[in-house]
Amino acid sequence: MLLNRPSTKLFIRQFQLHPKFFSTSIILKNRNASLQPTITETDHPVLSELPHTNALDYAFTSIDKLKNWARKSSFWPATFGLACCAVEMMHVSAPRYDQDRLGIIFRASPRQSDIIIIAGTVTNKMAPALRQVYDQMPYPRWVISMGSCANGGGYYHYSYSVVRGVDRIIPVDIYVPGCPPSSEALMYGIFQLQKKMMDHQTQRMWYRAY
Amino acid sequence: MSVSFARTVRNFWRNGIKRSLRQIAMINDTKSGHFMGEDDFGNKYYETDNPEEIHMRTRWVEYKDFHRFDAAHMEPGWHYWLAYGTDTPPSKLTPETKAKTFQLTEVHPINYTFTKGAYVPYNTAKPKYSTWEPKVAHREKVTV
Repeated sequence: MLLNRPSTKLFIRQFQLHPKFFSTSIILKNRNASLQPTITETDHPVLSELPHTNALDYAFTSIDKLKNWARKSSFWPATFGLACCAVEMMHVSAPRYDQDRLGIIFRASPRQSDIIIIAGTVTNKMAPALRQVYDQMPYPRWVISMGSCANGGGYYHYSYSVVRGVDRIIPVDIYVPGCPPSSEALMYGIFQLQKKMMDHQTQRMWYRAY
Repeated sequence: MSVSFARTVRNFWRNGIKRSLRQIAMINDTKSGHFMGEDDFGNKYYETDNPEEIHMRTRWVEYKDFHRFDAAHMEPGWHYWLAYGTDTPPSKLTPETKAKTFQLTEVHPINYTFTKGAYVPYNTAKPKYSTWEPKVAHREKVTV
């Protein structure tokens, strides 16, 4: 029904012509590389990917951007240091990587934090405590799973006392691989999460649903 | 960073207003130096020999993609140069001196997370263990 509406057809037409979504026009002149993955002709645009056409589109997109920018710029994680990964997490807050310059401040209370960084092995005994901390965090909340153990059990995957991945307890946004991941890797994960935050389209989708 | 007002003004004068503002948005600093090269994606690499710059902060990249730049956009050779692994940038290397690397793809693949090219894992094998399905035990109602 939605696809038959004339405005949607116009959207789709623009989707096909839009340089952001049309891969061949993205390929840079005199270069052999493209930053965009190939989009085949059978790929249909989803509602969230439709290009902006009218003033309301731009207005709601700006509201989204402002909100997302505010959220990603005050990135307050609750630390959940469980093992050696925590040491690398501490390095991110130390002067060399200096998370303060990015607006990242570790909070000791889950009620004041937006993000929780699970750094280390989650044991069965720790799992209920972790879930409780997560439940105490206000919305919106994000989770970074740091290191092999938190991602999928890692070295302790077949242990009797270890949770095989923190995503069995709480939903995870970013998985940082490594054993332990370097501080740079965690920072890269943080940047990826910031990108994910910037992709939230709450207002725009609310408007487009009507 | 050695930020001083005079240095910032000097860099604004050398780089121009637009590029300086772009640098502030991307790297929280203004920097001026000489152009070292450009990779296949159009990212530009610079180096400065200005003595007032802090040790190990003399090389930087200015990404092509302003809004969604990412360290994975850098090519490995340039990343090696940028991290002070070598003093010769890949653009200055002759074919004989170029290290032969094992490459899966012809072009350096960037990180496709959050794009259409993102990797989606799936399992075709039967899992070796079954997941725990907790059942709540029946509780008798306690009357005091």
